[in-house]
Amino acid sequence: MTDLRRLDEVLRAEEGDAGCTAGEDILDAYVELQLAGEDPARVFPGTAIHLRSCPGCQADHAGLREAARRFAGVEPD
Amino acid sequence: MEEHRVSAPRRHDQTLTTEPTSIGGNNVIWMQGRRESEQWVEQLRPGHPRHDRTVAKLHAVLLRVAFHELSRRLGPLRSIGGPEFDDLAQQAADDALINVLDRLDDFRGLSRFTTWAYKFVMFEVSAKVARHAWRRQPPSPHELAIERVPDSLPAGPGDRLEQQAQLKALAVAIGELTERQREVFVAIALNDVPIDVLAIRLGTNRNAIYKNLFDARRNLRASMAAAGYPVPERDAA
Repeated sequence: MTDLRRLDEVLRAEEGDAGCTAGEDILDAYVELQLAGEDPARVFPGTAIHLRSCPGCQADHAGLREAARRFAGVEPD
Repeated sequence: MEEHRVSAPRRHDQTLTTEPTSIGGNNVIWMQGRRESEQWVEQLRPGHPRHDRTVAKLHAVLLRVAFHELSRRLGPLRSIGGPEFDDLAQQAADDALINVLDRLDDFRGLSRFTTWAYKFVMFEVSAKVARHAWRRQPPSPHELAIERVPDSLPAGPGDRLEQQAQLKALAVAIGELTERQREVFVAIALNDVPIDVLAIRLGTNRNAIYKNLFDARRNLRASMAAAGYPVPERDAA
């Protein structure tokens, strides 16, 4: 068994959590608001809460944020 | 193998709350990428003279994104190398492209088209990494069943005896969870089993597992508070 992290983190269950499904639809908009320097939590508060607690969605979010920055501006021929 | 071709499952379970479906008509994101996004969508439509060329270009960039993302997640993929790694990236890009083309009408312009498309690569990579990890090393039974609650917490404010009492209360509370909640909480929160791997193990999807985890955490907080050991939520920002 791994070290137990602080109890309040291990037991994080914030009201207003949007869950995984809601974030799927808007994750791209969420990421671009971040990259534009805006606060996505103002528009998508439930996903902001969710991303603090869901390791799977955290990984998708981190990957998309990096991909959107690194591979931005690709245009069709 | 046919199993390799399985796309990331869509998660249609009821969500915990809802999110808005628009972010306003004059947002900066839409204006910045509008022309480029319109061009992508237009040229990806069947029958457009540049359709095939545009599909090929999109696939090429999705493949680059897939390679990059797989590399980024190399931690859980230590056992993957060479052709197998290339094959996973190829599958992720192929399946993401199929999803993008199937859902072209779902693109609402809330982001650049490419960011929207890259999102499907992320979902495919998550699903394929989990499937790979599951095949290589499925969670062992002891990772799903609690044997004991760790007897120490990392250094932090609070008295050690108080922390020990909290842990005992936590152990009792875990024992009062439903079997599924206990299984999910122990695997993810205590043993760091990846959520998507656990979803495969339990024959369900990420959102359903997360709902179990959320309910378990909420019940544990309530039980601990009732036992006289409330766990205050810190500012998460």
